[in-house]
Amino acid sequence: MSAFAAPTFIMKQAVTSATPLLLAGFGELLAQRAGVIDIGIEGLMLMGAIAAYGAAVVTGSAYAAIPAAILAGVLFVAVFALITVWFRADQIVTGTALNILAFGVSTTLWHALQNYMTGPTPHDPPQLFDAISIPILRDIPFAGPVFFQQYGLFYFVVILGIALFMVLKQTRYGLIVQSLGDAPDACDAAGISVRLWRSGLVLFAGACAGLAGAYLSTMRGHSFQVNMTAGQGFLVLALVIFGRWTLSGLIAGTLLFGALDGLQTYLAAIPGATTRVPHQLFDMLPYAATLIALGVLTRSRAGPAYLAAPWPADR
Amino acid sequence: MKPFAHVFADLAITAAAILVAIALVMAGLYLAGYPAHLVVFEWTRGALGSRFDLAVAAKNACPLIFTGLAAAVAFRSGVFNIGAEGQSILGAIATAFVATRWLPAVGQSWVAIPAALVCAAIFGAVWAVVPSLLDRYRGVPIVLSTILLNFIALQLLSLLLEGPLKAKGTEVVQSDPLPLAYWLPGLVDVGYLRIGILIALGVAALVWLIQARTSFGFELLVTGLNPTVARLSGMPVAARQLGIMMISGAIAGLAGAIQVMGIEGHFLGPTPVSYGYAGIAVALLGRLHPVGVVLAAFFFGLLDQGASNVEISRYGLPHEVADIVKGLIVLIILVGTAYVARLRTTVREA
Repeated sequence: MSAFAAPTFIMKQAVTSATPLLLAGFGELLAQRAGVIDIGIEGLMLMGAIAAYGAAVVTGSAYAAIPAAILAGVLFVAVFALITVWFRADQIVTGTALNILAFGVSTTLWHALQNYMTGPTPHDPPQLFDAISIPILRDIPFAGPVFFQQYGLFYFVVILGIALFMVLKQTRYGLIVQSLGDAPDACDAAGISVRLWRSGLVLFAGACAGLAGAYLSTMRGHSFQVNMTAGQGFLVLALVIFGRWTLSGLIAGTLLFGALDGLQTYLAAIPGATTRVPHQLFDMLPYAATLIALGVLTRSRAGPAYLAAPWPADR
Repeated sequence: MKPFAHVFADLAITAAAILVAIALVMAGLYLAGYPAHLVVFEWTRGALGSRFDLAVAAKNACPLIFTGLAAAVAFRSGVFNIGAEGQSILGAIATAFVATRWLPAVGQSWVAIPAALVCAAIFGAVWAVVPSLLDRYRGVPIVLSTILLNFIALQLLSLLLEGPLKAKGTEVVQSDPLPLAYWLPGLVDVGYLRIGILIALGVAALVWLIQARTSFGFELLVTGLNPTVARLSGMPVAARQLGIMMISGAIAGLAGAIQVMGIEGHFLGPTPVSYGYAGIAVALLGRLHPVGVVLAAFFFGLLDQGASNVEISRYGLPHEVADIVKGLIVLIILVGTAYVARLRTTVREA
């Protein structure tokens, strides 16, 4: 038991904190591969988080949180898709504006929700999600606690990850997604509607980010807090890039930084540990490593050729 | 010079965006059961009702003028610096170093304040040079590197506040208080408005002068409008882009300095209020023009002050409703601009 204790604790932490990042990352990865960069993930996660918690409180059932979060993410990102894909406006500016908007909307809704909960007829927060232990598997040393005593969304993320992996590698859809970002004109010539495909993938990214927000407010955390994403949406952005726009890279990077974070939590909890690395260095690491990876390891060019470029290009 | 029709279209879109955004928020408030017209009245009174409110609005506008200019200067030249956040944090760090570590004994404000400002501008510029060089030599998009550097700057600030900048004799994570010489003198007797606003207006005027009256400014504009034309005309495009990033970063750095010396209680805390991303919205609302940026920053300042008064009024809305208005305005401007551009194309083709 004790020989496994430290690595188990660290990796369990890593997987728990990696779950929302992976989920939002999957969506962002597909969108970016198709040539659309949404820096508004932060806002989408916030909207998912408030919608999930709000739906749970209003309906009294935690299960309402899931569709509400997906809906919130999709509706919000639909604005982004409309403005960037169909009106060809700048993706970065649009994403920034949606982040500002989402911060305002989620905070205002949270305010209203608190009034509702403490109003004339008080509404208690419902029972939210607990971690789901999978019988038998949960007793495996190390792997049991790390992988089989997680929140429900983690299992969904695993299945989604495998499905995406197969679709991207084995089917022509994977090729289409890639081509949308690398050669949109060729896609168009081949009869593939660039705008429809990009819109669909962006909507998928919104659903993923919304669901990731629900994880924050109804699974790992048990309430909403103002600005509770605290930069995690931007971390997702960094991780997608760090993984060089590949699924395996994204997963490896997310788990690696999650593990380092878990290690730091673990070390900080040891009483009397003298040589302590400042936590800021750990917090800085994903961003710094991504920057270095981009700067040092870039062979030819970074990322999809038409990333963030409006299509069609002619005016 | 833009054709008059284009300038008119820009102004019309901007005005329409503000009105539509307000209408949308009012509709939302009605649906949520608030008396929206009364809320908007309270909001307006809260923004414009007294000298105090106006002074606070101007105080709010001050950092936004800097970060808005930083974004506008870069965007106008086609350089996507969205790192004003990180660059202003570096400016704040520089100010704290100068004031509490390197030159704490300087007694005269007229030496101390310029020293801090210069240092902040340099730190901000250096933080902006990194993405520019990464773009030039390694092909790393500036958009990506500046976002990453924003977060690195935030952690660097936190690290320094627990290390070399840590205040003596307290466990609170902040810097030592700034010596008196570094306090920006007050401008009016109400609302904490200090001479920072004059510095902001001065920088805006300087930017306008360079853009409108010098060949350097013209080169920057052409570089942004069409890099190929610029290169074929013999303009040093790569060098201009580096210059733009340095200017943009320096202006953003000033925002941090002004914050530390005038607004944030005269010391450096771990979470400087983030004005970097709001600066992008200000730049867009101000149509990337220095005068527009100043007006847009004041408008945002008024929105925030009005919303703060709505928060403490009997309507009890959180002041973050102001962010809803800001976000909506930018989105509507984007849609409107795209729509007008499409109209022009259609007309030209017809």
